[in-house]
Amino acid sequence: MIADAHVHIGKSARVQIDIDGETLIRIADELAIDRICCTDLTALFYDFREGNRLLFEEMKRFPDRIIGYATLHSTRFGQAMLDELDRCAQDYGMRGLKIYSTPESSFAEPATIPILEKCVELKFPVLAHATPQECEYLLSYVPECMLMMAHAGCQPFAKGDWNRAIMAARKYPNLYLETASSTIDLGFLEQAVAALGPEKIVFGTDTPLLDPHVQLTKICDTKIGAAALDLILGGNILRLMGLQS
Amino acid sequence: MIVDINAFIGQWPYWPVRATAPAEVVAELAEWKIDRAVVCSTRSVFVNWEDGNRETEAAARSYPQSLLGFACLGSRELSHKLPTGDFDFEGYQRRGFRGVRLYPQYHTYHPLFDLAVDEICEDARARQWPVLLPLRIVMNWGMPTLDPVVMEKLVERHPKTVWILSGINYLYELQLAISLMRRFETVHLETSCVMGFEAIAKLVQQCGEERILFGSGAPIQHGGANLAKILNAHIPDSARDSILSGNAIRLLP
Repeated sequence: MIADAHVHIGKSARVQIDIDGETLIRIADELAIDRICCTDLTALFYDFREGNRLLFEEMKRFPDRIIGYATLHSTRFGQAMLDELDRCAQDYGMRGLKIYSTPESSFAEPATIPILEKCVELKFPVLAHATPQECEYLLSYVPECMLMMAHAGCQPFAKGDWNRAIMAARKYPNLYLETASSTIDLGFLEQAVAALGPEKIVFGTDTPLLDPHVQLTKICDTKIGAAALDLILGGNILRLMGLQS
Repeated sequence: MIVDINAFIGQWPYWPVRATAPAEVVAELAEWKIDRAVVCSTRSVFVNWEDGNRETEAAARSYPQSLLGFACLGSRELSHKLPTGDFDFEGYQRRGFRGVRLYPQYHTYHPLFDLAVDEICEDARARQWPVLLPLRIVMNWGMPTLDPVVMEKLVERHPKTVWILSGINYLYELQLAISLMRRFETVHLETSCVMGFEAIAKLVQQCGEERILFGSGAPIQHGGANLAKILNAHIPDSARDSILSGNAIRLLP
């Protein structure tokens, strides 16, 4: 079972994307990916209620393939955010949260804490586009939150520093590393597995921003062994989402 | 046949890399079924380009079927001394080099202001040697980048030089490369840092198959992953063959 923990759906001028569930499933089929965990781009950058509702419609069209992340574009909406998370869990059947931090608007701040506490209550893993330092800040307040560092430090705001990401994940038991990135440094996965064990690494592609063939090959074409590969390619994300024992 | 236009030998100062010696690099490339690679020693980038060129030369002599050297060149003003003598391009040719790489991000000169760059570009043009100009050395945000506008100005200044633009990834960087390839038939793009969704297919669609060259960035980057984007690109097989080897074979004098 291959599950892609990092997929985008919907529209965004910011990242030049306009894509629906049917197209994403076709791409997943090409790579033999069984399930895709999606976040809606309208929810990520504009209106979380509208975006999460749009994603729910796509989840209904492909119930066996699309797993939904509730998504929030800001930490400044108070109780409405927490109500939205309840709606996404109970009405939409979503299984996690996606949030996106930038240096200009970092979510490493007190307003994020109640969101993560709600995710603990809902048993939502949180896919956080965040730096190692931001993840450490958040986990220092809510250590029981299952936080997945999107891109494992390999993103512009974290300066591509996957070594720093590994150090953070060693420090916090509930910090996981998600692998999607333009960075394809040889040996990253082997070093991450050696330091953390395969249980703390989650495969993602960031489709349709990145080439999924590159993302899958950099995981599969490594020297980590079949059992570790199974966990990374799907076992871990499904376990975190409560979809597999 | 797969030819990689952008690989390395030597130490990598940022993190441990498992293949550094020429024999290790050749073995690593063989695992991905890369038959031949254009290499440059990272010593050229991080220590002294001439010392690195000697390592590149020795590696290419040891593995003539697998490795080909591009000379890494840079400013001739070292240790606050004015340059003495000229580049010995004939010597580089005799030593087996067949192209040039520039790394101004690491050599602390400005490619538009250092006269050595014009000298290099014009000599390369006369020899039909490609000049590989990287925007970044590998696709990692910890690496310094070259201003894309500088890349554009340098190509415009030397339009008859055969260029291989390298280290390109973001949309605006691709748009620059596409624009330059459309304006100048001498401009090519290597793929080691191109990571975008369907980016290879879009490049072929917009620029044709003859200007795109497979590059891996190995062994710093994952050569197999980089190869996967060419092997699985939604492009005609003829284009795939051109990118993987045909264009490089045609370009290398």
